[in-house]
Amino acid sequence: MSRVNTVLGAIPAAELGVVAVHEHIGYGMPGSELDSTWWKIPEERYAETVPKLREFHEHGGGTFVDVTGICNGRDVDHYRSLSAKTGVHIVACTGFVGGDTALPHFARATVEYLARHFVHEITVGIGGTGARAGVIKVGVSRGGRMTALDRRIYRAAARAAVQTGVPILTHLAIDPEPAVAIFGEEGLPLDRVLFGHADDGPNSSITPHEWLLARGGRIGFDTFGYETELPDPPFWARPRKERLDHFLSLLERGHLGQLLVSADANCSPLGWPGVKGHTVNYLFTDLIPDLRDAGVDDAVITTLLVDNPADFLSIRS
Amino acid sequence: MRTVHTVLGPVPADQLGAVAVHESLLSVLPGAEHAFDVTIDRAEIFETLAKKLTDFRNAGGGTVVDVTGMFHGRDLPLLEALSRSTGVHVVASTGMGPEELLGGYFLTPQTNPPTPWPADRFAALFGAEVTAGMAVPRVERRAPAGLVVTAVTRIGRTATDESLLRGAARTARATGVPVAVCPGDDALGDLEIVLEEGVAAERVAVAGLDRRDVARETVLAVVRRGASVVLDHVGADDDEHLTDRERADLVLALVADGHAGRVLLSTGAIGVAKGLPDDERPLAAVLEGLVPLLRSSGLDEPTVHRLVVENPRDLLTVRPGEEA
Ligand SMILES: [Zn+2]
Repeated sequence: MSRVNTVLGAIPAAELGVVAVHEHIGYGMPGSELDSTWWKIPEERYAETVPKLREFHEHGGGTFVDVTGICNGRDVDHYRSLSAKTGVHIVACTGFVGGDTALPHFARATVEYLARHFVHEITVGIGGTGARAGVIKVGVSRGGRMTALDRRIYRAAARAAVQTGVPILTHLAIDPEPAVAIFGEEGLPLDRVLFGHADDGPNSSITPHEWLLARGGRIGFDTFGYETELPDPPFWARPRKERLDHFLSLLERGHLGQLLVSADANCSPLGWPGVKGHTVNYLFTDLIPDLRDAGVDDAVITTLLVDNPADFLSIRS
Repeated sequence: MRTVHTVLGPVPADQLGAVAVHESLLSVLPGAEHAFDVTIDRAEIFETLAKKLTDFRNAGGGTVVDVTGMFHGRDLPLLEALSRSTGVHVVASTGMGPEELLGGYFLTPQTNPPTPWPADRFAALFGAEVTAGMAVPRVERRAPAGLVVTAVTRIGRTATDESLLRGAARTARATGVPVAVCPGDDALGDLEIVLEEGVAAERVAVAGLDRRDVARETVLAVVRRGASVVLDHVGADDDEHLTDRERADLVLALVADGHAGRVLLSTGAIGVAKGLPDDERPLAAVLEGLVPLLRSSGLDEPTVHRLVVENPRDLLTVRPGEEA
């Protein structure tokens, strides 16, 4: 039986439909909630978020995977209400975007404690919401090298993934040797790991895609739309054509089964201005047309947006 | 009118009564609120804290100063309800520290490179909590903060700790609330940084000076510099701090040296701890433990009154700041 944990309960993988596999309803660094610069009244948050999700749904989007880590403004009650009102499945995560987003209670914790926490959120629920996490988020702290805390989180995530069968998404895939070693030591096959942000401006050239693909890892081109052509691009932006060509080259080399795509957009950013003009719907308005223009056929697009994520997200027993 | 910022609004300074000047009512290690094995039952927390505050009031206490700052479990609606129900004035604080207790927003912001926050940004953040009101995160602002607190990494000041010290000092100078600092391994150096920002020494309290690793010379140097010392582990029975007997002797020495106006006393107790060890010491430990010891050691009544009523009153009274 295939199942995926969404914030409104488990659903069969066949119901996921088109999946945006690495997204955010709203992301903010821990502590940003103290800075009223970023506060929005609830009406504003809904007004920024609901139309994007409805548009996603109208385009044929089925599932929105929110990978906002535990201390980054993850708000499962909010996701539940959004999902119920828009018809978009929302998958929430356990885990952390990186060690530098884990607050002291978790930063000081052992691998065993972190693993218990992740397993609890996957099998029992997140806080008092009753919603179970469907994926585990891990990542590399700012600075480009995995810190000792990053490694504890990766190891705990690997244990939780082995125990529960949910997959892992990474924030960044630079410096991946320690990560791959940890996953190997914990007995987690690398097709249960999506090595993310392999396509962004600063990191794509230092992410060893082929090395990861050869070991069975999945590669996330999950910052589609963060383009240097935007009026006010973020530092992780990349020229549109360069990213697309890079992606097409991986498809040509036969890696379709290991590739996943997403936009990493914020519907309503929590602790930063966000990037104007960039939403999850880039997948429909820009990426799919670009792929078609490049001669990619619809069966491949379905594999990328439906079949691969369904296989990845299904809880493996 | 000389007033103090409490969670229920300004209170005339002469109504504070005996003050527990450096306490933690609800203290939550950042992140513990998300932990699977931490339960935050507000009704239960209220009952526990209300009992402690009532015991404090029954022991003659009038005001509790909560020094947990803005990012360690501060719950303003809870503190307001506690103050209303128990009749004890509650003064809450803005500020945070040391570096290890900060969120990534301040340490690795979404900029390239991720430069930690400088002092002026901390000053703006803390200052708004005094001028516009303390933040209930992403919801609203409540009453103005009564003081600004920060702390320095125990094993030594980091660059961000220094930014926090300067930001807290600028907040105090600009808004007229006092600043309380938990120093690291160099209390005088930490104090000098605060004073470099132009805040009057009498507006500064240096806490944690009844630690065993703090030399008596350091305590004397702090008061000679014009700042107040907070002996804030009254009733503690551990290896890290002085005993109450030793603490009483230190108080008597400071008084004899002419520094009665620069001494503050507190238990540093935690009313309810989440993600941290519990601390069962009563808020009334100063009034019921140390004060009798001081009296029996010959401290006169006006000086006792000075230590537990007048000194905290003078420190907490909001002075016209640069922004006033
Ligand atoms: Zn992301």
